[in-house]
Amino acid sequence: MPHFKIACYSLVVLLAFAFGGCAPSTAAKPEMAPQKSATTTTPGGSSQGKGEGQRGTGSESSTAPGSLEALQKGQSSATPGSSPLKDVFFEFDRYDLRTDARETLKVNADWLKRNPAARIEIEGHCDSRGTNEYNLALGAKRAQAAKDYLATLGIPADRLSTISYGAEIPVCKEQSEDCWSQNRRARFVVIAGKPAS
Amino acid sequence: MFNIIFTFLFVLFWASSASAQLKGDSGSPGVRGEIVGQGGQRFPIAVSPLKNTGTAADSAKLSEGIADAIVHDLELSGWFKVLDRSAYIEHPQRSGITLGTFDFRDWSTIGAEGLVKGGFSVQGEEITVELHLFDVFQNIERIGKRYVGRVKDFRRIAHKFTDEIINEFTGIPGIFNTRIAYVSTSGGRFKEIHVSHLDGSEKFQVTNNHTINLSPSWTPDGKSILYTSYKDRSPSLYLFELYSGKEVKWSSKTGRYLGGKVSPDGQYVAATLEAAGNTNLYLLDRNGNVVRRLTEDPGIEVSPSWSPDGRQLVFVSDRSGSPQLYIMDLASGKSRRLTYSGNYNTAPEWSPKGDKIAYTGRVGSRFAIFTIGSEGGDPRKLTSESADSEDPTWSPDGRFIAFSSNRAGRYQLYVMQASGENQRRLTGSGGDDTKPNWSPRLD
Repeated sequence: MPHFKIACYSLVVLLAFAFGGCAPSTAAKPEMAPQKSATTTTPGGSSQGKGEGQRGTGSESSTAPGSLEALQKGQSSATPGSSPLKDVFFEFDRYDLRTDARETLKVNADWLKRNPAARIEIEGHCDSRGTNEYNLALGAKRAQAAKDYLATLGIPADRLSTISYGAEIPVCKEQSEDCWSQNRRARFVVIAGKPAS
Repeated sequence: MFNIIFTFLFVLFWASSASAQLKGDSGSPGVRGEIVGQGGQRFPIAVSPLKNTGTAADSAKLSEGIADAIVHDLELSGWFKVLDRSAYIEHPQRSGITLGTFDFRDWSTIGAEGLVKGGFSVQGEEITVELHLFDVFQNIERIGKRYVGRVKDFRRIAHKFTDEIINEFTGIPGIFNTRIAYVSTSGGRFKEIHVSHLDGSEKFQVTNNHTINLSPSWTPDGKSILYTSYKDRSPSLYLFELYSGKEVKWSSKTGRYLGGKVSPDGQYVAATLEAAGNTNLYLLDRNGNVVRRLTEDPGIEVSPSWSPDGRQLVFVSDRSGSPQLYIMDLASGKSRRLTYSGNYNTAPEWSPKGDKIAYTGRVGSRFAIFTIGSEGGDPRKLTSESADSEDPTWSPDGRFIAFSSNRAGRYQLYVMQASGENQRRLTGSGGDDTKPNWSPRLD
């Protein structure tokens, strides 16, 4: 059950200091999140990665929570501008990669090569228009398209997982093309392994 | 909690000679038949507040409450013009409720051609309600019924009687003793499954897991709701049993289940399963095991809906390059394309009669509700593209369609006749209400 491990892992980061292990999500309190030390226990119990704690707060945004976790905590699921992994965007009802998306994915791939311990989850998102279930499928296609392209750039597939949130977790909630275009995206969340440098 | 819906209601036939005579009366030119047919005149009817025939005071305002529920249903049907109560001449507490104990002229004078009268008495937690439908033209009684139930279920009695009225006028019972399941953001940022009556009463929140819950659908017995949830982080199907409050994960295998619908015989679920970016349709058994893979396509295959006989599925596929509706014959496994106009046709729902399929289609930059014959043909647009209307669901008699629309700002639920006439908003929850699914008739 990889997803359980993922959820559990994010809690390790949050709660290792207080509880020293994986704890039920109900115990996760947002105010406990800041300034966690570099506890980098992986789901399997081994230690890897270099730790982000020593670095300034500005470069830790790659550990921004996944969109569902952000929703649960009442936080924005927008990818911070400081994140080294950038979102890629799609046309309405399309999941083929635009030229700018390929360029962004090359930059993301370079970061992944510099951070070989990092595993990421690729989230597929859609704008609010259309049918929920179709959008879930479309989001899955978008996440997979990003994953496949990263794989062609040499990133091992076992470092890349996907999940679709369809139109359910928009970053922008207005009804306008500008807003819709921001929501039609693939988003990259680091779920294990911290920046090497 | 939910025992409201499943409270046993005792229905006794009111031993009335008039109601007995009705059964052999279908050929008469009376009330019956006048309102059948689209675009016809709405039938003028009066619904008198009920007479308190008991000894307890009407502290709960049941006299008007029961009448109000009947009025709401009759107006929602689109077939009746309910005359305004302020015009009524007689005093409901001082006149009789049976033939010969009131004056039909008090009603013909104000233009009523049909008349609903009744009485009620409360004994503790129990209420007895007697309701009559009269034909003001012919000065006869059409229906007489007595109901016994719990006081707090008084609306259910009203809905059941309205279903009788609809049956009397159209030959098919009404659908007002039903519920709508839907997704709502009311009460916060999460999407939870809710259930309520068409009049907004008897609201019940099915899920409260503070994640994303989607695509509720009723089981054919009306006792459970199947839905997709991210509660375990990865989307799966869950079945919630309404009267016990028990929830089980239907999809026992790991995998990402984006949606599903229970078959008419209750034995299978047609499910959308995603793997490696591809979504395909599968048949699951009662334990959530895959018994058959239905599609083998590298694209998107979603949103299956069963034909009433359980032999076919209508679903969405983008195999042509855009989402279109297809119909699969389960015995042969062969599919045929159903929609050809437009480049975005999704969310199909097969009508209970089997002859039509309702769906969401894109018109310009908007979405509208369409119907199309299940054998193909020209689609018919039922809603205006001045706003978005999505996610149609049929009433169990196939004569109405509920849907969600943002025509008044937030997404709210609406009901219309299957022809598209008489579009009316249901009571909103305060959040965005989407993805309605209409229950079967409930007992």
